[in-house]
Amino acid sequence: MEEESDSRKINNSFLRDHNYATEADIISTVEFNSTGELLATGDKGGRVVVFQREQESKNQPHRRGEYNVYSTFQSHEPEFDYLKSLEIEEKINKIRWLPQQNAAYFLLSTNDKTVKLWKISERDKRPEGYNLKDEDGRIRDPTTITSLRVPVLRPMDLMVEATPRRVFSNAHTYHINSISVNSDYETFMSTDDLRINLWNLEITNRSFNIVDIKPANMEELTEVITAAEFHPHQCNTFVYSSSKGSIRLCDMRASALCDNHSKFFEEPEDPSNRSFFSEIISSISDVKFSHSGRYLMTRDYLTVKVWDLNMESKPLETYQVHDYLRSKLCSLYENDCIFDKFECVWNGSDSVIMTGSYNNFFRMFDRNTKRDVTLEASRENSKPRAILKPRKVCVGGKRRKDEISVDSLDFSKKILHTAWHPSENIIAVAATNNLYIFQDKVN
Amino acid sequence: MVAKGQKRKLHREDEGGGSAWESQLQSVLDISMDKFHRDQALVEPCLLRSVLINNTLRQVQSEVRAQVESLSAVKTKNQIGLLPEPSFPRSSPSAEHTPLFSLNNENMEDDFMAWTSEEDFSLSSAISAILKDLDTVIDASQGPCASQRAPLSSVENLTQYQSGLRTERMSDMASSIKTEAMCPGCPQDVALDKLLLDIDTSVFEPEVNLLQGFSVTADDLAKYLPSLSKSASASSSSSLVSHGQATWEIQEIEHVMDILMRTYPQS
Repeated sequence: MEEESDSRKINNSFLRDHNYATEADIISTVEFNSTGELLATGDKGGRVVVFQREQESKNQPHRRGEYNVYSTFQSHEPEFDYLKSLEIEEKINKIRWLPQQNAAYFLLSTNDKTVKLWKISERDKRPEGYNLKDEDGRIRDPTTITSLRVPVLRPMDLMVEATPRRVFSNAHTYHINSISVNSDYETFMSTDDLRINLWNLEITNRSFNIVDIKPANMEELTEVITAAEFHPHQCNTFVYSSSKGSIRLCDMRASALCDNHSKFFEEPEDPSNRSFFSEIISSISDVKFSHSGRYLMTRDYLTVKVWDLNMESKPLETYQVHDYLRSKLCSLYENDCIFDKFECVWNGSDSVIMTGSYNNFFRMFDRNTKRDVTLEASRENSKPRAILKPRKVCVGGKRRKDEISVDSLDFSKKILHTAWHPSENIIAVAATNNLYIFQDKVN
Repeated sequence: MVAKGQKRKLHREDEGGGSAWESQLQSVLDISMDKFHRDQALVEPCLLRSVLINNTLRQVQSEVRAQVESLSAVKTKNQIGLLPEPSFPRSSPSAEHTPLFSLNNENMEDDFMAWTSEEDFSLSSAISAILKDLDTVIDASQGPCASQRAPLSSVENLTQYQSGLRTERMSDMASSIKTEAMCPGCPQDVALDKLLLDIDTSVFEPEVNLLQGFSVTADDLAKYLPSLSKSASASSSSSLVSHGQATWEIQEIEHVMDILMRTYPQS
């Protein structure tokens, strides 16, 4: 059973492939496409790099399909908003793939203000034998042309080109934090701090506002939207999370403006854990539906929670990511780490969840066995193709040999973005400007 | 004044771990204000961050207010007769407020009209009222200005809360409160210092860089305020009205202004 093999392999058997170092730019988003054949990364410089899994080769069975660079393009450029005298960063906040419908691949990428639809297509033939120009493009002297011929398509080296097909702009006053493609494959939504807009993929000059939480008086603002996602199967349902730790599920059939939620998920605060930072650490940084559509996963600063859509009062499961930081919240507030937005992901079968932490650690939780593991994405601490060693952070006085104490954690090395292949045990982990891809060990 | 000296020791049993909580309160307040001001300097602060910092500041604010209210509630229980000598606190300015409060402790007479208790009560209520108005919207006529002005912008808020300073004996207490405030080194000053920082919540418009603080320097204040006498003066009230929007009772303005000016060594 796939699930059993997942849980068996989860703790000790992750092989490491190459380590792809993108050039000095910090990776800001990572996303597999729906088949797992392609992996896209976006960076702070506005570039998108797409990796493709190579076909498995019978000659080298131990090298299960590795990911190689397939296409690189500049998705967004820095812009200047003249009206407000503000610079608009080109950093790619999110990438979402569209389901594949023909030979070309489509993805949506967004920065703070503009969403773009990119088409990535291959070209492996080109026309040769033009009448009016040479093969190298120079115009031929018309007087030398004596006969007419039909150009023919001849094979050429594979070229992958990315072209922007749609630009969805001027719909957001605040910074876009999420995009989500609807299961109807016709619409998608873009979310900023206060509003959610619904777009048709074909229409760029109009969008519909479906959620607006901006108060009439901005001084009364106490809550913002932090993430949103469409349900994987029900095209009328979506959720959005807030900075106060709540999730609202909305049904677009109920009304045009979904300010009133259909369901409201919030866990009552634990009074024994109350501190000045309770609200900040409850702010949800990521929300993801399970592949089945039955569950919802949310990430706040210290925990990952799995919610059952049928139970609004409290989460089904809560996993502590790095509870040892609870006593350090004041310093983490001071150095701004408390505002870090970690993402979380499901594996293909929804049995394991993964999220990042500091010191280039990332954590996996098996929902069935309740076991968890901490792994490290680091070139220094593991060799290529070596099995990753589980790590441990020690909180008490006595530190064992391989443990790391809380005080020696490197808070500048944070793993905010991770992705899991839709059907296999292959994960992509972004550690600042490096991308790590890990696979299951091949027996 | 919110005391961190003698008086607080008395109530420490009630609070349990009070000093640790206080020091964290102070750190959170310091850090939050620092971040708040830094974000003000940015052209486009991150909205999520601003909201979270602001909510934290509000929480600190309400905790402090609760603290002040509980202290003043305790004080009104311990009504004491005290010589209403203005000179009394002056005799030992460096001893801060201890003379005053030690007398509180000694004399447990239930005299509702006692000076000290009323002083403290009025002071606490002044602080509470100031804190209430830290959320008040300041007129957008004040343009964006440097964050150093922010502490004194709460002066502008005073126009709207003057009803909080409502005891009859306010005028008589002005001088004694003034002298109370005359200790720059008081830990109470630090608390009040922070308490009176304008926690301005009207900063969320990214399109408009609104720092709704009023550009008032201590020098300006000194110019507009008459010497701290008890006599009502039409000129001073009118000059204040020129800045503010409401009418005042001059004594109330005077002593609160004095507290502010004494606790702020500079603008």
